[in-house]
Amino acid sequence: MRQLGELEAEIMHRLWAWGRPASARDVLTDINKQRPLAYSTVKTVADILHNKGMLKRHKEGRAWVYEPTCTRQQYTAALMRQALGGNPDPAGTLVSFLEQMTPEETDALRSALRVVKRRSEA
Amino acid sequence: MSTAAVLAGYAVVAGALVPSLLSRAKWAHRAPVLAVLAWQGLMVTFVVATVLAVYHLLLSEEHAHDGLVGLISACGLIVGAPGTGTASDTVLALTAPAAVAVLPLGWLVRCAWQARRARQRHLDLLVLVGEPAPEYDATVVDHTAPAVYCLPGRRCRVVITQGALDVLSEEQLRAVLEHERAHIDGRHHVLHLLAEAFSRAFPGLPLGRHAKEQTALLVEMIADDHALRSHRREVLASAMYEVAAGRVPPVALGAGGTGALIRLRRVLTPQPRPHRATRLGVVAATVAAPLLPLLVACGH
Repeated sequence: MRQLGELEAEIMHRLWAWGRPASARDVLTDINKQRPLAYSTVKTVADILHNKGMLKRHKEGRAWVYEPTCTRQQYTAALMRQALGGNPDPAGTLVSFLEQMTPEETDALRSALRVVKRRSEA
Repeated sequence: MSTAAVLAGYAVVAGALVPSLLSRAKWAHRAPVLAVLAWQGLMVTFVVATVLAVYHLLLSEEHAHDGLVGLISACGLIVGAPGTGTASDTVLALTAPAAVAVLPLGWLVRCAWQARRARQRHLDLLVLVGEPAPEYDATVVDHTAPAVYCLPGRRCRVVITQGALDVLSEEQLRAVLEHERAHIDGRHHVLHLLAEAFSRAFPGLPLGRHAKEQTALLVEMIADDHALRSHRREVLASAMYEVAAGRVPPVALGAGGTGALIRLRRVLTPQPRPHRATRLGVVAATVAAPLLPLLVACGH
């Protein structure tokens, strides 16, 4: 059984890639190219995404069509703000390879590295 | 009264005096695992000494010296032992020290819960925008700033940005991933949590501030050492520089960036491990320090 989050992501990815409003049927047709899935599942998850505010929808004929409220880049930016941003997360949330540094500190890193390179070349 | 004074003095030494010495200790960066252990031991020592000091302060000396029963009750072995004090004295003498012990535990639960929720939020977003990269056992995020980090916990993930993939060579990337794996395998987030909870429980205490800062730096060093087992020093060091240089700093910048420079110098110039005697001494002190207040409390 796939995680709900993954199915949500599958739907979002398709809508982002298409760049146009689409119905749950359109999404299902595309997913069914890879694996069988029930229409009701896609419709339910699309409505969950709508309730979360991630999709907006309007009626076209008799069917609802959905489109993302934010672009993928906006979500990525939000994710990166969490990971690298100024306001620190609670301790133990994530462990970064390198903390944010000032340009002066980066310069200091570079000169330290240069000294060693010169030494190893000598 | 004198026992309480001795214990309080001990707590002050552990909470205010030793931290500034330990954070400047030369051996710490050469044996980061040992140093992390020492910080954890120091935090336990402080709590034990404070709990016992409060207990002895509230429990009158006569009560504590009321023969064998008083002695045992002073050691906390018998709750509500018959003595000269009233029942309410005994209740107070037990609840106040218990509160001191429960305080950091409460903060630990709270911090762990907050971190878990924040991780969950982050993971939800990550599932949405990240692309799995099985060849690296990681998730790639399409973002220009180079960054590599790990989400610890049960559903742990290593995250790499496209920017990091662009600036790092394959070898550099492998070294950085090894570093992140060390964080996950070593459960370093738990060490972060313990230090954070302690510093929140005792705000303003030098031990809290130092333990938090030093633990953060030391676990990075442990992870660096882990990566260096299978990768060359220059590779890891240049990877650190590439990641740092590729980022545009935000307007409001948090403090504490110097850690990276200390790490880089440490990665580039290998230092021998401390002498065996030093290592044994640190372990012995770490084990003995929290036990000593118990001896003091029971010996009087």
